[in-house]
Amino acid sequence: MVDPTRLVDEARIGARAVADRFSDLASPTLRLGVTGLARSGKTVFTTALVHSLVTGGRMPVFEALNTGRIASASLRPQPDDAVPRFPYEAHVRTIAEARSWPESTSRVSELRLEIRYAPKRGGLRTLTLDLVDYPGEWLLDLPLLDMSYARFSRESLALARAPARAAEAENLLRALAATDPFAAAAERVAQDLAARFKLYLAECRSERVAMSLLPPGRFLLPGDLEGSPALTFAPLDLGEDKAVPKGSLAAMMVRRFESYKSAVVRPFFREHFARLDRQIVLVDVLAALNAGPAALADLERALDAILLAFRVGRNSLWSALWRPRIEKVLFAATKADHLHRTSHDRLEAILRRLVERAHARGRSGGAHLDVAALAAVRATREAEVTRDGRRLAAIVGTPEAGQEVAGHRFDGAEEVALFPGALPAMPDALFDPSGDAFRGLASGTDADFRFLRFRPPAGIGADASLPHIRLDRALEFLLGDRLA
Amino acid sequence: MAKAATSAPTAARARDRAGAQDGSRPQVFRLDEAGITVSEEPVAARDDLMPVAEITRATAPSGRGIGLGTVFWSALGGLVSLGIGLALSRLIEDLAARAEWLGFVGLTLAGLFAAAALAIAAREVYALARLSSLDAIRARAVSAIAEDDRPKAEHVARDLLALAGRIPSLARPRAELAGHLSAIIDGADLVRLTERTLMTPLDARARQMVSDAAKRVSVVTAVSPRAAVDLIFVFYTALALMRRLSQLYGGRPGTLGTVRLVRHVLAHLAITGGMAAGDSLVQQVLGHGIAARLSARLGEGVVNGLLTARLGLAAIAVTRPLPFAALPAPRLSDVAAGLLRAAAEDEDALQPGSRRSGKLAKE
Repeated sequence: MVDPTRLVDEARIGARAVADRFSDLASPTLRLGVTGLARSGKTVFTTALVHSLVTGGRMPVFEALNTGRIASASLRPQPDDAVPRFPYEAHVRTIAEARSWPESTSRVSELRLEIRYAPKRGGLRTLTLDLVDYPGEWLLDLPLLDMSYARFSRESLALARAPARAAEAENLLRALAATDPFAAAAERVAQDLAARFKLYLAECRSERVAMSLLPPGRFLLPGDLEGSPALTFAPLDLGEDKAVPKGSLAAMMVRRFESYKSAVVRPFFREHFARLDRQIVLVDVLAALNAGPAALADLERALDAILLAFRVGRNSLWSALWRPRIEKVLFAATKADHLHRTSHDRLEAILRRLVERAHARGRSGGAHLDVAALAAVRATREAEVTRDGRRLAAIVGTPEAGQEVAGHRFDGAEEVALFPGALPAMPDALFDPSGDAFRGLASGTDADFRFLRFRPPAGIGADASLPHIRLDRALEFLLGDRLA
Repeated sequence: MAKAATSAPTAARARDRAGAQDGSRPQVFRLDEAGITVSEEPVAARDDLMPVAEITRATAPSGRGIGLGTVFWSALGGLVSLGIGLALSRLIEDLAARAEWLGFVGLTLAGLFAAAALAIAAREVYALARLSSLDAIRARAVSAIAEDDRPKAEHVARDLLALAGRIPSLARPRAELAGHLSAIIDGADLVRLTERTLMTPLDARARQMVSDAAKRVSVVTAVSPRAAVDLIFVFYTALALMRRLSQLYGGRPGTLGTVRLVRHVLAHLAITGGMAAGDSLVQQVLGHGIAARLSARLGEGVVNGLLTARLGLAAIAVTRPLPFAALPAPRLSDVAAGLLRAAAEDEDALQPGSRRSGKLAKE
């Protein structure tokens, strides 16, 4: 059966796409989708991208900038007046002057950048770059679009019962066992269950567990919908294929789940993800390695579910007009500065393995794909440590206050050299299905990897260009051909 | 299946593969501890140009048996050298017999002759080695791009920096590139960056040289009174063009080097001739057709000019130390566009510069 709301949605997306094509004729616009889960570095990437273009930073591999073909890049008023502006200047000050990372994003914001450049044949043209920043948590809602409440319940509970989340889920599961889903609906019960569900999701995000697949996203970061009925539901143990009686608790949950989808998820997807030209998928592989095999497997599942929502491939004449596909996707392992350069190839191999299925889908659609290890802002330097005749490739940086290694707490001023552990040459070694391929923080001390969070580097002003790793390569891949 | 029994060894093996032996566990060091070197420079090995001997060995044609020709030429060469040696020693003996001082003069001259011959031979060998070191750089650049291999790419970049050190006009691009060497750039990107930074000014000059030579040849052919004159002129121009291109890109061919260069260029022409003909045959035939209708001599001039341009393009491909990866390779229409256009109009063929200067003046 065709879902009517879905049809309406598709029609609206199509209409917007046609309107976009026409406005592109007047002023070419590139919609770059910066995609990534929470804490994967979207805000920092966007800030660094804009900063490097505006200040003309050090970007040897980004041909247009390096050869001086970019005349200027300046911020312009964004298209949507109802959406907050991306606070670019504040973020640059936070990174360069206060030496701390921007706070995690709690709402959608937009930024428009106008690049004036000389094509290789000469002349002067303008390319408008539209960027959107949003809380990564909300991305987790995209897989819900095609899900029924029954399936959502089943999958959520299966996840909650997994051993990796046992401790966090105990409270929720006990309450669910005591609830009869087919009893008469009571607001108090719904609120209690929703509160427990929220708590469980929030606890799964701690550094020690670092789970990624935690839908629905607004439960982690409600925005201005907090307390509304659409955000007061929880999965129920419905059993096998039983019809839901009218007026029951389950029926109320079904209705709320559907209104969550139509009031929250669909508009978010339609506004910000249905019309992308290029996409960069930022993945924080290192945080998952830090936590353990369960976190890594969870990250793989979450990425796969999210990336299914995007249409990737080469455009035909027809699709370019009505339903544009994303023609270029860059998968980027962020925070590559937490590793010595000798390990970057291995990090890329792990990421390639992690997004294997999305990669294969994109390739069969004819899209251009690439994988890179990058750091939008490079917080460390490299060092070599000689110990017992062995040479270790280490990195030097200032760990954030409160970070801990082997009982030692850092104060945020001390600079240390860290050897974070050796990544395996074959990424498959990490994805061993037995679940104990390596040890992370989740299995107590004695972990195989330890990645500290470092503060941004000292001694850069707000006007100087920020140090980075392969940001230029990312820009060359994402924008290079549009500036040729 | 005894799952519990098998999973433990699997895990242990996986951990071994993960490189978690003793000593590669995560560790934190204070910066004032001994044995820590913080690197501002890249850690990768910085070796200079490959030794000459190694390069020539690497690129020498391999595994050819001793042929009859080799025996013939070696034997003949040996006999001739023996003959010269004998004649020289006879001459000096005769001189000494006539007067002792004359003998000394003869001996000194013979010594100078031998020294100069040795020096010339050494220079030729050096020039040859230089040419093949350029070939080696190009081969390495190709494989660095294909494999995205950082150490190899860095080797290429450093070799080219050393090479560019002798070209004063590249001082600024050189400094720029040297600054980027310590940044984290992947192998293929580094080679492309090197090409873009160092080759752009040289390419422009090379294109100009080829274009000028082609125009000169076509004009001289068109106005020369005898076929022999323009034959000699074409030959001389082509040879000079090849040598100048080779010099431009950092090679310094001597006599033997030039011979080898000509062989390379001709071989390259033979290989790529078919493909090049494919992209511009229509244009060439058309151009020639119009020109030939105007005048037979003019048509010959255009054909000779095109030939020179072709030769120049082949020479660029052979002498350029990097493959065309980031920058577009020059096409026949780039260097011979003026020629084809000029040929269509009688006057302009005789004054190849006039049309362009007119256009410039208009802008």
